[in-house]
Order: sequence, then C-alpha cells, then structure tokens
Amino acid sequence: MIFLICLGVASGMLVTLSRQLNGRLALTTSAMQSSFWNHLVGFVVLVPCALIAGSLWPETAASAPIFAWAGGAIGVIFVASGSWLIPRLGAALTGGLLVAGQMLSSVSLDLLRSEGGVLWMQIAGVALILLGVWLSRRR
Amino acid sequence: MTQRRLAVAHSAQGPPMPASDTASHRAGSPRPPHPLEIAAALCAGSLLTLMLLSNGMMAAHTTPVFASLTAHGVGSVVAALLLGLFWMRRPSAQRGQPRRRAPLWAYLGGVSGALTVVLSTVVVNSSLALTGTLALGLAGQVVLALIFDITGALGLEKRMPRRNDLLALAAIVAGTLLIIFARGSGQ
Repeated sequence: MIFLICLGVASGMLVTLSRQLNGRLALTTSAMQSSFWNHLVGFVVLVPCALIAGSLWPETAASAPIFAWAGGAIGVIFVASGSWLIPRLGAALTGGLLVAGQMLSSVSLDLLRSEGGVLWMQIAGVALILLGVWLSRRR
Repeated sequence: MTQRRLAVAHSAQGPPMPASDTASHRAGSPRPPHPLEIAAALCAGSLLTLMLLSNGMMAAHTTPVFASLTAHGVGSVVAALLLGLFWMRRPSAQRGQPRRRAPLWAYLGGVSGALTVVLSTVVVNSSLALTGTLALGLAGQVVLALIFDITGALGLEKRMPRRNDLLALAAIVAGTLLIIFARGSGQ
C-alpha cells in the first residue's frame, strides 16, 4: 500500500517535472517546439512499452470513435500553453491554475451530463477554487 | 496553442522571457499574474478535461498504453504541421537566424510525460482507484512545483512563493480535493 501511495505521488511529480523541462526547452526555442519534442520523444518511449504490453495495433483500435483520436491534437495545445505559462507564473501557480481550469470544466461537464457526485461538495469545491483564482491576483 | 500570438504580444512587458539563455536565478518578487495569463491557464486546464475524456475513450476501446501512444503520435503530427505553418508565415529574412541551443536534457519532458501514463495506470487499477490516484497525483504535483520554484531547478527562474500565492494554491487544492471526493463518494 505504501508503495502504491508513493507511485501515486510520483506520477504527479512526473507531471510537474515534464512541465518544467518543457518550459526550459521553450525558453531557448518556442512553446510550440517544446510541445512537438514532448510528443515525439514520448511517442518514441511508448513504442517499446506498447510492444511489451501487447501490440502496436490492437484490433479494436479501428472501432474507436473519431473523438478518441483527438486527444493528441488537444494535448499539443495544452503542453504548449504550459510551456508558455511556466516562465511567467512559476511552476506552482501554473500547475494550480491548470488544475483549477480542469476542475471547473469537469464539474460543468458533470452537471451538463447530470452525472453523479455530492452536489454540495462540488459547489463548495468550485467556490474554493474561484477564491483561489481571485487570490492569485491579489498582492 | 494560438498562445503563440499572445506570447508575442505579451513579451514586451512580461519579465521572465530571459534575453540571456541561461535563465537568471534572481529570487525576484514577480509581478502579479496578468488576467490574460490566468484566462489562458484556465482555458488550457479545461482542454485537459477534454483531452482526458478523449484519451479515456481510446483506452476503453484498446489499452491505456495504446491510448497514450496514439495521443503522442497524433500530437507529434499535429505539432509538426503547426510548426510548419508558423515557419512558412515567418518573413524569409528571419528564417536563417542562428539558433540558440537548449541543453539536451531539456528535450526529455516527453519521457516523464510518457512515464506518467504507465505509473498512473498502475495506481488507478489498484485499491487506490481513480479518487486516490487523482488526490495523490495532485499532492505530488504541488509539492514538486513548490520545490522547483524555491530552488529554481532545471534552469527556470527562482521565485519565492508569497503569502497570497500559497493561499491561492491552498484554496485551489482544497477545492479540487472536495470535487475529487464528491465524485468518489457519489458513485
């Protein structure tokens, strides 16, 4: 269990590490170039992983809906934004605001699709996040 | 992102686009974030929601590793196309400018990104489930980000978080945890 908890924390740390490295690369190149290298290098690393895990082309892949293929394109914009933001806001605030945007949008999506969840906790969570975003502007 | 245009418009006033390549290690007190930067971060965060939805859909049809593989493959192609577009739109005089070099390790962001997929897949399929994975991942992100800011590690600017930065972060983290557990206990 302790091992799993460490793995969970480590996976979060890898997100921050990746953003910091991409941000450093963007300083010398550009945000879009850092996004390109992030995806290409990640692809090269994942090819052997996919080979070990199974195959490069699972039979069910062809039946996946179009939207399932769009994640990579959205990711390009996401990584480029992170690389643009991190030298401006620092790692902590960049990460915090990205998580804030992620949470605000996913709660709206949950409400739109009327998916489960404890409503008062969601509302309180959104209020706290909005407070945080407002605080980040205050000096 | 179309952020690139913002970047150009903004770099006149934004301080930390260092002119010198070796990023400065000033422990300066940064200006408050520009509303544009906050808006950009919130929009990018909501793109992450869509991205996770899309990648999750692919993972459900195939495997998590294949979903990440295709996301990175499609991403490489799309980024290359966008770079080509930017390059063509640049005035030809600028094209031959000497390039500044980034250290080789700065190209390794994709490795840790790919590794994230593998680790989080293991954790999400354990007794910690999605809620635990999200909460622990959030903790890991915030702790390492604070360490990076305070030490200026990996060549980005060193910045001491101020009281309001920490309060903002704490409120965002607390709100996020509430939402994560609201979902975990609602199902």
